Amino acid sequence: MKAAGLLIGCLLFAAAAPAQQVKWNVEKLAARASNNVDIELNGSLLRLATGFLSDTDKDEAQAKKLISGLKGIYVKNLEFKQPGEYSEADLKGFRASLRAPDWTRIVGVHSTEEGENVEVYIKNEGKSIAGLAIIATEPKELTLVNIVGNIDLDALSDLGGQLGIPNVTVDKKK
Amino acid sequence: MNLEDELRSALRRRDPPPDFTARVLKSVAPRSARRPVRPWVGWLGALAASLLLAAGDLGYRHYQGERAKAEVLQAIHIAASKLNVAQKKVQMISHRSNS
Amino acid sequence: MPGLAPAKAAELDFASLVRRHQAMVYSIAWHILRDRAVAEELAQDVFLSLHQHLADLESPEHVQFWLRRVASNRALDVARRRQRRPMLSLESVPEPAAMSQAGDPLLGAALRKLVAALPPKPRAIVVLRYQEDLDPAEIARVLDIPVGTVKSQLQRALALLRGKLARSMGEIRI
Repeated sequence: MKAAGLLIGCLLFAAAAPAQQVKWNVEKLAARASNNVDIELNGSLLRLATGFLSDTDKDEAQAKKLISGLKGIYVKNLEFKQPGEYSEADLKGFRASLRAPDWTRIVGVHSTEEGENVEVYIKNEGKSIAGLAIIATEPKELTLVNIVGNIDLDALSDLGGQLGIPNVTVDKKK
Repeated sequence: MNLEDELRSALRRRDPPPDFTARVLKSVAPRSARRPVRPWVGWLGALAASLLLAAGDLGYRHYQGERAKAEVLQAIHIAASKLNVAQKKVQMISHRSNS
Repeated sequence: MPGLAPAKAAELDFASLVRRHQAMVYSIAWHILRDRAVAEELAQDVFLSLHQHLADLESPEHVQFWLRRVASNRALDVARRRQRRPMLSLESVPEPAAMSQAGDPLLGAALRKLVAALPPKPRAIVVLRYQEDLDPAEIARVLDIPVGTVKSQLQRALALLRGKLARSMGEIRI
């Protein structure tokens, strides 16, 4: 199966078994960050947010659909003033929480030009997805995303072009 | 035209909705009010108190809800943008291997 | 209130404080966030906190300072979180259609929109300067930032706003 198909295939299945939040400790790194976004939305906060997301606004309606049934969304995004503020050892520590057999790395991409790496992991419970984790690094930025529950990767990818997310298109060479 | 004067005019204070004060006072009332509860309506008093608390909490809950909504949208934005980077790379590799 | 002279206790009576300061608190939130619903709820939240901290405040002037500080910083907190969402940058806000009258309500609306497109901190500085008529030293105390930062950010914000308006209205003198 092509890697692209793995990523963009529709992965909606029946409700997953209870899944756990990945615990990432970024305290020391956060202390060095010039900007720190720390989002922790458990099940009840997501349900609360659902009540406030509009059905008529396209962006919000899509987001509402995406988060329905999720058990948690956790995002840590750290920006640093200079490169080198986090190490490979730090990343190893984050990856240690995403080990087989529970977790499978489905994509790992590296851009030497931009120095941008993205690793995508999914947590399987039988045939269902019980979680998604992303570790994304740039020289001056580190992003950790953990979504607990049955996430529709297709729908998440489809948000390209909405919410201001650039649409991913690849020019086909003739 | 003087920009500073125009800014003062544009940014002058405005009143919140007419019921704002009442809502604020209502939301603090359960903490400050002393209600004598007769023993024979004890359970009614408890029910009334919990309803008042719920009503008072609604305003703060609305703020929490709006805040949770903003965080959901921000989180999705971050997650989707990183997924898109990965997707773009994967598609490039796919196209290269097909060509 | 124990320990306070009756006049002071009356001054610090919570209900009268809400009535006296609600326009200030609400307007700070609204001009920084440009979202009436969130501004209302934030303002309510600020007064709830005031109720909890009233015993710590020593005078009517202290109350006013405290309210400005808490309202501004909480609004900034929300604005910074929203900033990560794709928002209109000041550069992309269309210039207002040509207007000639000072006090023109359309100009007022255009200015509010331009101010709302400023980054959060300069936005808060402009709001405190022109809504609350605070001088840079007072703004620095409210936001707990250096006076130099207030002055330079205010200058830059005005230059940006002036530029946008000047292109539609001709020379603007301050």
